[in-house]
Amino acid sequence: MTKVTTLVEAVASIPSGAHVALSGFAITRCTMAFAREVIRQGIRGLTVSQCVGAMDADLLVGGGAVERLIYGGGSLDRFGRLASVNRGIEDGSLVVEEYSSLSIAFRYLAGSLGLPFIPIRSLRGSDLMRRIEERTGSDIAAVTDPFTGESWPVLKPLLPDVAVVQVQVADAQGNAWIMGPRWDNTEQVRASQRTIVIAERVVSGDMIRQDPERTIIPGMLVSHVVELPFAAHPTSVYREYDYDAEQIESYVEASRTPEAFQTYLDQYVYGVKDHWDYLDKVGGERRLSRLRADLVLGY
Amino acid sequence: MDLEYTPSELMATAGARELQDGEVVAVGLGLPVVATFLAKQTHAPNITILFELGVINPEPVHCGVGLADPRVWYRANVLSSFVDILGAILHRGRVDVGFLGGLEVDPYGNLNTTLLGDPRGTFRHMVGSGGANDIASCAQRTIIIMRHEARKLKRAISFVTSPGYISGGDSRAQAGLRGGPSRVITDKAIFCFHPETKQMMLMSIHPGNTLDDVLGTMGFAPILPQHVPFTDPPTNDQVRLIRDVIDPKRMYMG
Repeated sequence: MTKVTTLVEAVASIPSGAHVALSGFAITRCTMAFAREVIRQGIRGLTVSQCVGAMDADLLVGGGAVERLIYGGGSLDRFGRLASVNRGIEDGSLVVEEYSSLSIAFRYLAGSLGLPFIPIRSLRGSDLMRRIEERTGSDIAAVTDPFTGESWPVLKPLLPDVAVVQVQVADAQGNAWIMGPRWDNTEQVRASQRTIVIAERVVSGDMIRQDPERTIIPGMLVSHVVELPFAAHPTSVYREYDYDAEQIESYVEASRTPEAFQTYLDQYVYGVKDHWDYLDKVGGERRLSRLRADLVLGY
Repeated sequence: MDLEYTPSELMATAGARELQDGEVVAVGLGLPVVATFLAKQTHAPNITILFELGVINPEPVHCGVGLADPRVWYRANVLSSFVDILGAILHRGRVDVGFLGGLEVDPYGNLNTTLLGDPRGTFRHMVGSGGANDIASCAQRTIIIMRHEARKLKRAISFVTSPGYISGGDSRAQAGLRGGPSRVITDKAIFCFHPETKQMMLMSIHPGNTLDDVLGTMGFAPILPQHVPFTDPPTNDQVRLIRDVIDPKRMYMG
């Protein structure tokens, strides 16, 4: 049975208040079309997690869809900071649980393996640890190593309701290839209840079977497959297209005030009826074809 | 004739000098990348370079805007994941040197990249940890690279994102952490840490600066040894490598 569906339907499967793990890292392989559709559908109260906060999470926060963010810090690289996330933290409107990258990766790893907790060397002696410990229902504790007697901080697994992952290639069953580094995506998918795959292209099962060692996401973990070109725009997808520097800069500019951000949302999220309409708005095929990756360089 | 060099170029060469051949180095973008590639192209060809998101030994031909830019992954030996790089290599104890930068550093080498202001009152939230806390906690040693300003070199910092020697003495070992910062490299001087108290200690002053220039622009007094030499300036070859090969567009060196 094919799992291929529309973005609208895949997004509609996510209830308000769900915990969603996102595949973006700063300005690459961000689930941007997904985030825009979540905001259009008015889904609220999400918990979002990722190892390094990225543009997809920032847009969702700015669009009012997020109640809680579990992350390891983040930025838009040289383009700027995560302005909506930071504003939410500063004015208290966003509940934030802030870790290091490896602590989040370990929490997904523990979740993916079905472990009750995972020890980590990081966080000790830091204010990150102090802040996490102060929370009620804290996700950090200490145990004594039964073999050496040493004390170790341990972290609770992260078990998202759904992982949403931007990939290059998938088949109709959701078997998906991720080219380039995968940061926390492998563990996110395995820790989550289910996964929504957003693929630049859907290919035949035979194509996947020719190079199965490339398959990072097994179809058995996938509930929906959405085929959508330039779904990560304005962020990059390795070997597919480069980031759109101009569009990221206008996002950063709009992030400076809530009012300007609302205008950005009106223009690029609420003001378009779907992803195709969005692509036309940011310049259409003529502009997008200029972002196409060089096949040797991968960008 | 000796080439003129910028303070950033001197910082990069000072960073490169800290690296030994065969070492495994975890870097973020900016000056540390320049320092590490410089070492690799001169005295330390067998260095292994790691980027936290899952990149080993890239050979970029274009400058990137950050670790998320595929330009800096080009021609890597390995493209993998956080669990592979920060887990199986760093957490496992296989990283010799980590480079760290930050908003603020205190006399014990504790670093802040999270926020400025009062964490319980009014503050500005910045970038946070990323892999910095993990590198500070798990690398065999770290090298801190900072601008030399009183608002950055402070007696007390707003937030400890990445621990150095915590409150000095053996407090870092007591917390169960290995390693610790070995150097702080600024645009005016290089510091090490006192073997017992673990407080920052002046090691050398960059040519063109006086002791007053260094001490007058920091928020605490470092330990002063009897004799403080000048930092070795970059060689002509090092300056040419940085300008012509490693950072021709001046993206990392500002």
